Amino acid sequence: MSFWEKLGKIDRKIIFLLMAVVIIIPLLSPLNLVGKVGRRTQELFRAIDNLPENSYLLITIDFDPQSMPELYPMYLAILRHAFAKNLRVIVTGLWVTGVGLGEDGLKTVAPEYNKVYGRDYVFLGWKPGITAVVLGMGRSMKETFPTDYYGTSYDSLPIFTKDITYRDIPFMVSLSAGVPGYETWIAYAQSRFGIRIGAGVTAVSAADAYPYLQSGQLTGLLGGMKAAAEYEFLNEKAGFTKAFKPASQLMDSQSLAHLVIMILVIIGNISYFALRRKR
Amino acid sequence: MARTLPLALCFIMGVLMACQFFIPHPLSQSFLDLIIKWVRIISAFALALGVRSVTLRHYERIKRRKGEWGFSVVTIVSLLATALIGLIWGVGAKSYLRLIFSNIMVPLGATMFSILAFYMASAAYRAFRARTKEATLLLIASFIVMLGMVPIGTAISPRLSDLAEWLLSVPNMAAKRGIMFGVALGVIATSLKIILGIERGWLGGRR
Repeated sequence: MSFWEKLGKIDRKIIFLLMAVVIIIPLLSPLNLVGKVGRRTQELFRAIDNLPENSYLLITIDFDPQSMPELYPMYLAILRHAFAKNLRVIVTGLWVTGVGLGEDGLKTVAPEYNKVYGRDYVFLGWKPGITAVVLGMGRSMKETFPTDYYGTSYDSLPIFTKDITYRDIPFMVSLSAGVPGYETWIAYAQSRFGIRIGAGVTAVSAADAYPYLQSGQLTGLLGGMKAAAEYEFLNEKAGFTKAFKPASQLMDSQSLAHLVIMILVIIGNISYFALRRKR
Repeated sequence: MARTLPLALCFIMGVLMACQFFIPHPLSQSFLDLIIKWVRIISAFALALGVRSVTLRHYERIKRRKGEWGFSVVTIVSLLATALIGLIWGVGAKSYLRLIFSNIMVPLGATMFSILAFYMASAAYRAFRARTKEATLLLIASFIVMLGMVPIGTAISPRLSDLAEWLLSVPNMAAKRGIMFGVALGVIATSLKIILGIERGWLGGRR
């Protein structure tokens, strides 16, 4: 086997090992690379930042543990922003596997801001009947969720001063890893009831959301871990939090992983062209 | 009758719901409220049917020792165990169900997704070749977006993230929008075919 052939046939074990090394090393010794805050992240940050105190903010957990590394840091960052701005946070979700994550985030962040369950935030959990749930919240939150996740009746929760609908919620964020997700909220909650929506999505699906940005159906977009890290940066810059920034730390690993993949692709192509010229 | 009634119901409800969207009259809104309640109730039953279907399917596999039936045992045991644990001890933050979720579901899900990075690196190295002009263009665009989406790209050149944003906002969006229009027209056509009874696959296969 010639040198060029060997170059094009690197054992996959070596590739896996290389990837493991470039992912693990920055976790142990952060490089602290600083990126530029993207326009879409700034739009979402501003949309939440401009909400008046005590406004409702609806956050929907439309993802599962598989997308957790990218979307969960976004959730934490948005919660910190919302609590720092004294917004009333309502959390629900269209994915049953996201219920635990939704609850975990609230349990982690709410104590940092001395927020009280039922008064400052509420967790509604998950219900079957995706379309009916999204449409139902536009007609009556009380009928759609007669109780919260823990079985407390709607009327016993001080956060709800009346039977609210989307008209009472000036902004919502869907953290979405697929379908149902932000597109479901756009199709049923926005087209019928006009609620403003921002979205957080995984990096691979960010490109799909761009048409909704230009049409104005989405107000701001967090695309992947980079956007989560940018949101963490904006929170810290505004003095909203000094908490650990998980996405920012993981960005170093992602940066190097991207670089290694690119180098591998270049090596593969060098081998390909060298062999083609020989033939 | 078994086929005519569902077809008639589908036609009536399809037409009514399409019209309802454009009528803001209180009567129309009350109708929507009623339908939402019905859908919620039906969805709960559908969930029960789904559980029944999964259980029966795996039960059959175990009974016939078909294929990798051991996985079916795991599925049924997991289904029953999580359901019973949730029903008996509740679903709160300190419940056993949360313990299972945090210590089994979360690490397993995260592991599955993390493994992708390794396979993607290996697959990209083997398959991503600049064989044609189109492939070369794709390769260059992917490099720009990959670098533009991470801080190391900004460290190399601050313009890279702007260029990546432009690629996503202009050429990508133009292509995506075309695809989305096509999909939307396809959805409308399929919906009409279902409402008018031309497409009957949803009835269970036989036409």
